Amino acid sequence: MIEVKDLVKYYKEVLALNKISFEVNEGEFFVVIGPSGCGKTTLMKILAGVLEYNSGEVYINGKNMKGVPPHKRDISLMFESYAIFPHMKVFDNIAFGLRMMGKDKDFIKRKVTEVLELVGMSGFENRSPYELSGGQRQRLALARALVVEPPVLLLDEPISHLDYQLQRKMMEDFKVLHKKTGGTFVFTTHVQEQALTLADTVMVMNKGVIEQTGKPREIYLAPKTVFAARFVGDINLIPGEVVSKDGDIYIVNTEIGELKSLANGELPAGAKLAYGIRPEFVEVENKTRVHDNQLKGKFDRFYYFGNYVECIFDIKGKVEVKSAVPTKKAVDLRIGKEYSLGWNSNNAALLEKPSVIEGLNIEEVIYGK
Amino acid sequence: MKKMDLLAKVYILVIFLAIYLPTIFLIVLSFNTSARITFPIEGFTSDWYFGEPKSYQANPSYIPIIHDQFFWDSVFNSIRVSGITAVLTCIIVTLTALTMRYRLIGRDVLFYMFLLGFITPGVLVGLGTILLFRLLGSTITEFNMIALNTVYASSFGFILMMARFDPYLMLYEYTASALKVGPVRVFRYITLPLIKWEVLSSAIMGFLLSWGELIRNLWVARGTGVVSTFVFMQLTVYPLTTKWFAAGSILAAVSIVGLIIMATVLSRGTK
Amino acid sequence: MVRHTRYVLLLPGLVTFVFFLIAPLAIMAVMSFFTPVWPGYRTDLTLNNYVAYLTSPQFRILAFNTFSTSLVTAFICMIIGFPFAYCYTFKIKSERTRNYITMLLLAPFLIDWTIRSVAWISILGERGFVNSMFLSAGLISEPIKFLFTPTALFIIWVQTNLLFMIFPMNLALGRMDPEVIEAAKVLKAPPYRVFYDIVFKMALPGVICGFIFVFVNTISDYVTPSLWAGGLQTLGLSVSNYASQFLWPQASAGGMILLVACIIVLYILLKVVDIKKLVYE
Repeated sequence: MIEVKDLVKYYKEVLALNKISFEVNEGEFFVVIGPSGCGKTTLMKILAGVLEYNSGEVYINGKNMKGVPPHKRDISLMFESYAIFPHMKVFDNIAFGLRMMGKDKDFIKRKVTEVLELVGMSGFENRSPYELSGGQRQRLALARALVVEPPVLLLDEPISHLDYQLQRKMMEDFKVLHKKTGGTFVFTTHVQEQALTLADTVMVMNKGVIEQTGKPREIYLAPKTVFAARFVGDINLIPGEVVSKDGDIYIVNTEIGELKSLANGELPAGAKLAYGIRPEFVEVENKTRVHDNQLKGKFDRFYYFGNYVECIFDIKGKVEVKSAVPTKKAVDLRIGKEYSLGWNSNNAALLEKPSVIEGLNIEEVIYGK
Repeated sequence: MKKMDLLAKVYILVIFLAIYLPTIFLIVLSFNTSARITFPIEGFTSDWYFGEPKSYQANPSYIPIIHDQFFWDSVFNSIRVSGITAVLTCIIVTLTALTMRYRLIGRDVLFYMFLLGFITPGVLVGLGTILLFRLLGSTITEFNMIALNTVYASSFGFILMMARFDPYLMLYEYTASALKVGPVRVFRYITLPLIKWEVLSSAIMGFLLSWGELIRNLWVARGTGVVSTFVFMQLTVYPLTTKWFAAGSILAAVSIVGLIIMATVLSRGTK
Repeated sequence: MVRHTRYVLLLPGLVTFVFFLIAPLAIMAVMSFFTPVWPGYRTDLTLNNYVAYLTSPQFRILAFNTFSTSLVTAFICMIIGFPFAYCYTFKIKSERTRNYITMLLLAPFLIDWTIRSVAWISILGERGFVNSMFLSAGLISEPIKFLFTPTALFIIWVQTNLLFMIFPMNLALGRMDPEVIEAAKVLKAPPYRVFYDIVFKMALPGVICGFIFVFVNTISDYVTPSLWAGGLQTLGLSVSNYASQFLWPQASAGGMILLVACIIVLYILLKVVDIKKLVYE
């Protein structure tokens, strides 16, 4: 449905999009995730046609979009900054797109009422934008983009300023809407949870390049780069060197000892990489299972997340390892005491590449420079 | 898109030239040897600027500008009047605009009074002032000129300044107050730096409006008067000659240079 | 304590305006009801001045001249000025260039008004630039009389007042969020609708403000029409005439009529757009 080839965009001298290529299939829920400044908004604007680009090709529904102005594209965009029309009431803001499409008054009234109910703002028709709160403005901008029911819907950080419950509700509504209309949704966010929950396909971006594209599960369980691993889900990363191979299992030498893991392909001895293990796989004092990776760590501190507690363990004073401990079990742990930590090598990952971007130091990416 | 950009720039240039057209002619024709205003130029001379006064110097229209003492008197008068107007306008506008942001009794009344200040035709204020002072038995002085111009410029400046206020300005002031900073220091360190360009532009507006104002000044002019009244009165009595073009050119040159300097100063640090 | 300080801060403006605006206007209002007795007046109240003024045959001509010329000038300024303000705000990317343009546009104002007007003689006069060009190009056989016609008036007035129109427009346009325009484009608005529904409507307060500025400025100016438009008479001129003959009551009556007319026009225009929104937002 959408095809982008070698897209390059410079802002003065700054490279915002560095030859990116990707495809979005028809009817897909495609989520672009990445830190601020990675180029998500630039990409959205180029797809919508309001921003020029330097080189590359953009195809929507098989047609080349070069020189096609935004009002001739079958695409709708919700802006991260909302861009609400300040001189129009809520009703007119939402009705604008429909009016431009030439729909009649009854149709417009019906649709606007419907979409206001969808975003939970029924009865707000006659309010002025100045009277709305931040969250209400965001929902207004969303309603305005949704009501035109475009074949391709672009949403730039559409729910980031809503409270948690409302975010959950909107996420569910998106899923339902997507199923019902069968349209193509492209969604940007920096919140992993949204990406993992909603997406058919996730694309991780970093400084204008694509780190990895794939199904949420794929990226979560088999990230290709350190950046992707850190950005989608939480992960423990320890720098190390490959020592040897025992069957399928690689042995990696790290500051805290030798750790074992499976790998996605051949790794030569001496290869420098990051050893990764996600906190939910690190088990604390589980005597019922034998793990092929075992360490002793001193319980240093914790962060309460409601249904689980993130416990941080200090290993030999050199490295910290996070474990996601179910709250029921966490109450028994005492700070300062040593506990045994363990995990299986098939849950660990070896990440050779810091990032798709060349020339980055793997330790810098691990520690988040 | 690119065609539109070019068209836009051409349009701006065209309008710019249209506004400058009289000025250009002014400068070009000030070097005309002939005293009559004609086009094209008959000869080229700088006599109107620097020449020696001729024998018929009784007629001021023929005195080269550099020797016309009355003209220079009026220029200095103008500078003084406009300068003081600028300062007063700036003070009144800043104080009033800042204070009017808060809800006060009679805020609307004051607002409408400012509106009145600028829709009132100059004729009426002039007439009214003369009547008022006759009634009071006082004489009209230069101060009246300054005051009338200040009222006019303040009305303009007030509306424009309020329109330009950063909506977050009050927020910054509240923040500072919450940090136990006294109102005077809040004004000095927070408010003033943030509105300095608006304050400056109200002063500039005061200067410009009073310099170009003819009608109000005509009613209250005394003595040589300011440039606008001086030239006007001269031309009602004496014939129009190229000498006045020289006068205008001098004013043009000075103002262009001055404004270019201002633009350069304002552009420091911007792209 | 702070609350009282605020009122004190308003005093300079209040005092100046009351003394130099309200008082003169009040005196004029009072004077307009006095009976004229040459060379002065008696303080007997009468409505005669108004009646005489309004019923005189010249009044209709004067009023028509005054308001029609000002309205036309304001419209011309609006039509020429809005594209200029639009191009200036959106098409000139460099702030430095914009500063230079602004400053340079102000320069002609510092040349005395009279001299600027007479410069037009060299352009529009019978031996001026335009006629010389046309004659030598063979387009006309006789010089066209531009000066001392209403055309000259409009040219001079537009040239003088254009800046008054552009300034508030720039102000209104400058506060516009460019993404709002992008949003309109994405919502299928073709360029002319983006321009009208979004840009123009959002800039409307600035446009109205500019319109008022130009209208008011030109109404006050009775000198230009009488000098350059072939003696076109306006209300302001008649007030001035009466005053120069010391006919205070009549002059005051004329002045009051002019003032009321201006206030009415202002009121109508402010109904179109709430100026308080532009200012207090």
